[in-house]
Amino acid sequence: MKAEFVFVALPISALVAPSAFAVRYFTVEQAQQAIFPGKSFTAMPVKLTGSQRKAIQQASGVRVLHDEQQVWRVSSGGWFIVDEVVGKHEFITYAAGLDGDGSVRQIEIMDYRETYGGQIRDQKWRAQFVGKTSKSTLKLDSDIKNISGATLSCRHITDGVKRLLAFYEIALKH
Amino acid sequence: MKSRSNIEIRRCRPLLGTFVEITACGRDERLVGRGIEAGFDAIAQVNRLMSFHDPESDVSRMNRDAFPKGVSVHPWTWQVMKAARRFAEESHRAFDITVAPLLTKWNYLPERCYRFSPGSTSRDIFLRSNYEVFFRRALIVDLGGIAKGFAVDRAVEALKNNGVKTGVVNAGGDLRAFGPASRFVYLRRPANPTSFAGVVRLRERAVATSGIYFERRKHDGHYVSPLLDGRRGQTARELISVSVAAAECMVADVLTKVVFALRAKAAGLLAQYRADALLLERDGTPSWRFHSPCDTGDRTRFD
Repeated sequence: MKAEFVFVALPISALVAPSAFAVRYFTVEQAQQAIFPGKSFTAMPVKLTGSQRKAIQQASGVRVLHDEQQVWRVSSGGWFIVDEVVGKHEFITYAAGLDGDGSVRQIEIMDYRETYGGQIRDQKWRAQFVGKTSKSTLKLDSDIKNISGATLSCRHITDGVKRLLAFYEIALKH
Repeated sequence: MKSRSNIEIRRCRPLLGTFVEITACGRDERLVGRGIEAGFDAIAQVNRLMSFHDPESDVSRMNRDAFPKGVSVHPWTWQVMKAARRFAEESHRAFDITVAPLLTKWNYLPERCYRFSPGSTSRDIFLRSNYEVFFRRALIVDLGGIAKGFAVDRAVEALKNNGVKTGVVNAGGDLRAFGPASRFVYLRRPANPTSFAGVVRLRERAVATSGIYFERRKHDGHYVSPLLDGRRGQTARELISVSVAAAECMVADVLTKVVFALRAKAAGLLAQYRADALLLERDGTPSWRFHSPCDTGDRTRFD
């Protein structure tokens, strides 16, 4: 089996203002079709009252940051919800598909954004490994696809889903 | 690469307590989509079997009942237990899946009412035929240091079985690239993990990185982390990272923990598994490297 593994160290250059590492996995429409293929969707945004927010917080143990929730009714009877969570390092938009009985059908990450040191835009930094690669140029923003380096917890998503299930019980069911 | 294979699809789901991303390339969008589903299914299956948190998982069943009566487990769980025991032997217990009581104490794992005999180790694990696991003494196992790598390998297998020839499976830092394309993998700078220390070019190989920068916390006034030396239960405190590359992601995953504990003394084991290792100091400077003896003409080293 052919295998290769080459590491190129980067110099410690001055860190400029952080910019974002971002991946878009899905638009709203794509996520809808991925979770509920072939179904149609009716937008039904929900605005929570103060007491609903409180009830959701109490039931889930998770803070409710926004009083508006993006919700779609699915033609098959389920719900499609777009939600956001903020972590220490990351800002994530995700879609949750709930079946008619309120059980989680599927979760898909739609947008993942992470801050990193701005050295990535630094020409010197780029020059370090351009030429060592098989390609003559490296489009950095689009080429940072894979990051290895300790596990980043998805606890915020887990909490977000807990909050959405309480949201379903309090604001959607009936 | 995009010109050779028409499409590349990337999907990301929260699984195994982290973000699992699958990238797959191919000509037929439906085929690639099906492969990605099969990959996520394999990972979800490992998640169900090996979760410490889920009371129905094989891991929870073992922790409840493998001592004294023994439990039957899924062949995958059995395979991971077998590998874990072997790695514990080979690393003189620098890697040990029985350190869960300490992880519970430090709140990395939830408190459970399992029995536990102090001093028990993975030597007290017995694997019988018919996928039965038996503990000779009461012990608590956690597969957090090995299951993620195993899950990545199963996902790659599922993708290939579904006709996907090129792709990457990345489970929160434990990743494996397969197919003819080279991939660039960025390694985080340990003391400043939102910046990068370097780039790895990877082909037909897995890389795993362990570091404590996202997980370190204070306990009784001291820093602790879930990265433990199995021999004395010593916890990693320094903001460094260890990356290991190997053919299989499970091997890479485990060996990062061994290198963390043994440093240069891990060289023998790394050579045995044809693995490469790289230790990054807090500022991202490489302070130790190991180049595996290589059986191919390709470059396989941390240059």
